[in-house]
Amino acid sequence: MIALALRAASDAPAPFVTRLSLQAESEPALSHFLACTQAGSLWSGTQGLFEVASAAEDLIGDVVLVDPFEGRADRLIRSASRHNTLLVTEQCDQLCAMCSQPPKKTHVDRFDLLEQASLLADQGITIGISGGEPTLHRARLFSMLESVLEARPDLNFHVLSNGQHFTAEDALRLRSPCYRNVVWGIPIYAADAASHDAIVGKAGAFERLMASFAHLLRAGARIELRTVLSSSTAERLDTLASFIVRDLAHIEQWSVMGLENIGFARNRWNELHLDLRRDFHAVGKALDRANLHGIRPRLFNIPLCHVPAAYRSYAVASISDWKQRFSDKCAPCAARPECSGFFEWHPPELVDEVFPL
Amino acid sequence: MVEGELGRLSHKFAVQRRRFHPGELDYLILVPTLRCNLACSYCQVSRAAEGASGYDWSDGTRDAVIDLVRQTRSGHLKIEFQGGEPTLRCDLIEAVIGAVPPHVEASFVICTNLQHVPPEAAALFDRDDVSISTSLDGPRLHHARQRGQDDAASEAFEQNIDRLLAQYGSRKVSALPTLDPRSPPDPDELIDAYARRGMTAIYLRPINYQGFARRQHADCRTTDTRWLEYHETFIRRLIYRNWKDRNICLEENYFSLLLRRIFRPGEDRHVDLRNPNPFGTDFIVIDHDGLAYPTDEARMLARAGIIDLSIGNIRQGWNTPARDALNAVSTCDGDPDCEACTYKPFCGRDIVDDISRYGTIDIPRRETEFCRRHLHLFDLAFELIHSPDPAIQYSLCRWLGLGGDRLPAGGLS
Ligand code: SF4
Ligand code: SF4
Ligand code: SF4
Repeated sequence: MIALALRAASDAPAPFVTRLSLQAESEPALSHFLACTQAGSLWSGTQGLFEVASAAEDLIGDVVLVDPFEGRADRLIRSASRHNTLLVTEQCDQLCAMCSQPPKKTHVDRFDLLEQASLLADQGITIGISGGEPTLHRARLFSMLESVLEARPDLNFHVLSNGQHFTAEDALRLRSPCYRNVVWGIPIYAADAASHDAIVGKAGAFERLMASFAHLLRAGARIELRTVLSSSTAERLDTLASFIVRDLAHIEQWSVMGLENIGFARNRWNELHLDLRRDFHAVGKALDRANLHGIRPRLFNIPLCHVPAAYRSYAVASISDWKQRFSDKCAPCAARPECSGFFEWHPPELVDEVFPL
Repeated sequence: MVEGELGRLSHKFAVQRRRFHPGELDYLILVPTLRCNLACSYCQVSRAAEGASGYDWSDGTRDAVIDLVRQTRSGHLKIEFQGGEPTLRCDLIEAVIGAVPPHVEASFVICTNLQHVPPEAAALFDRDDVSISTSLDGPRLHHARQRGQDDAASEAFEQNIDRLLAQYGSRKVSALPTLDPRSPPDPDELIDAYARRGMTAIYLRPINYQGFARRQHADCRTTDTRWLEYHETFIRRLIYRNWKDRNICLEENYFSLLLRRIFRPGEDRHVDLRNPNPFGTDFIVIDHDGLAYPTDEARMLARAGIIDLSIGNIRQGWNTPARDALNAVSTCDGDPDCEACTYKPFCGRDIVDDISRYGTIDIPRRETEFCRRHLHLFDLAFELIHSPDPAIQYSLCRWLGLGGDRLPAGGLS
């Protein structure tokens, strides 16, 4: 596991964002390496000196948010990684059974800092935006996306949203060409309101979601649908696939994802967890149905050896580098480069249930 | 069905997705030379002799093609080099490849008879973005007869194709049989000629008698029903063989295309089967003399002196009255037969085919060869889709790229 939050010390009067470079450069948003210290590395920038508890070579090129009061440096955008996600709020209006990041009541507005960070990103990368629910702060979010993309049309954003807040007015705004660089990742768990609402813990959520989809379709927004696999979604997955190919055929991708043993799901793991090696039938049929009708289904977060050979082409090595792990028994496996592996927090007794290919 | 707004919008979207909406120009067929080192009996191109002059791009044409490629606006580009024998002018191929802007993801297909592979051609073949397409008409005797070749010449071809297959595999080297609908080879012998080489995709293409070939086979104005039967038999043989030997999965490209069009709206990359089918939009053919044609068939009709369907040229472009005249009728919409046809959402319009066979587009659609062929193939497709036979279901799933062995029930949602 790669640490994303590091201990740090700084005398700056307020939290700041900077990009770490090896050599001193004239660009004021950059800080440069000064020396190795006992705790890690010492850096210098427009905000003065600061120390980060990690070796310099691991940090070069990273965009960090240094918070002098918390004594912390968050590695917001890591140069070497394809998995960079900015958390814009911890508030949410749903309570999903499998939420990996259970919501909090309070909101700390960091949009300005996150905007600065995005502007410092490497050329052409995709930056993830997540929460909580980012669209609870829609005006701030849209402004951030628009101003970053105006200055940096090479960047792309992937925004995770529960799709509970899009309005007809938003649809007009989202038609702006800069939103060609934005994909909205939106969860849907079932094709019927009762099941979906029960899973997301909010009455009326399905209906509101459908209204949002209509607005987004009008806007020509790019959508990735996301369905977490659990014992409660798997049996309805094929019905959901039928619904998607008929009524949501404009989406770019349907991501069917393995459950994470973290957050809310942790307490109900035994009840929710689905063993695909025992029964892949319902999932396979749903994936095939989507594919048959030209929807791109992808299977995320499932180790390849848990997927029947004929369906492995749907699987992607998806788990972010910083939370990915393999079993010792994976060592001889030829498929490892293409395999998602497991989440760092997957139950240890299950991590060893692998069958090297 | 979702009531209300989303249902209404997604229905509109579904209807539009069944129609072709042209994008930026991203597919070129280029004929750098009309000269060829062979003289196949069916050659549709009225080729020129290898030593003839005046049948290659002029410097002006070459520069204009290069400009066109440089100005590519699409993010991807496919260029097919046809001839004649394009490997006689590898220098022109290299110049075109070199003109692709860096942000464009390009792939190139060199259509060659593989009679000789000069070193310049071998170097081009070695590029990752280049693939090779050739003709393989079936078993040796059959192939040789169609080409009017002796054994040594056929052997040279076979050595070349087999060597390239061994070197690059069947992903890069593909072949098409050119078939005389009056005397096609035995399906299994044809399949064997491909399967034996690890080539799994076969595109059954009956000779369309026009151009040079039209003069030689004047009796072949319509493909008779024997061809339809042959095509169907061929598909059924593939199904049988795929079921018996799971190690290799054979397919016929055109039938697979029809299947995909049935299930997947928006499958519009096959330029001869889409509706409406406006010419000179995402696709253009540039001949050896710089003339622009709407399709390769149209180029051959002009070559054969049957009708000039050129819509412009490489220097002045093809935004011309000639193109508009063709485009006004290049659609199934409004045709009484098509409008009443259950297959219309999957079918398309190929006016060049009608013109080549009948000299006019003004005949009832259901009396055209195009319509008869497509009705037959769509009938067959639906019969197979609804068949409970596991062997049939198995092949359909493979051809559609599914993981399971049976189409999901109620698949035509
Ligand atoms: S998973 Fe559900 S509860 Fe958690 S943040 Fe997303 S929408 Fe909110
Ligand atoms: S053995 Fe390990 S690396 Fe191989 S497929 Fe299974 S989980 Fe992945
Ligand atoms: S099968 Fe014939 S009638 Fe039906 S759409 Fe095609 S061309 Fe028209």
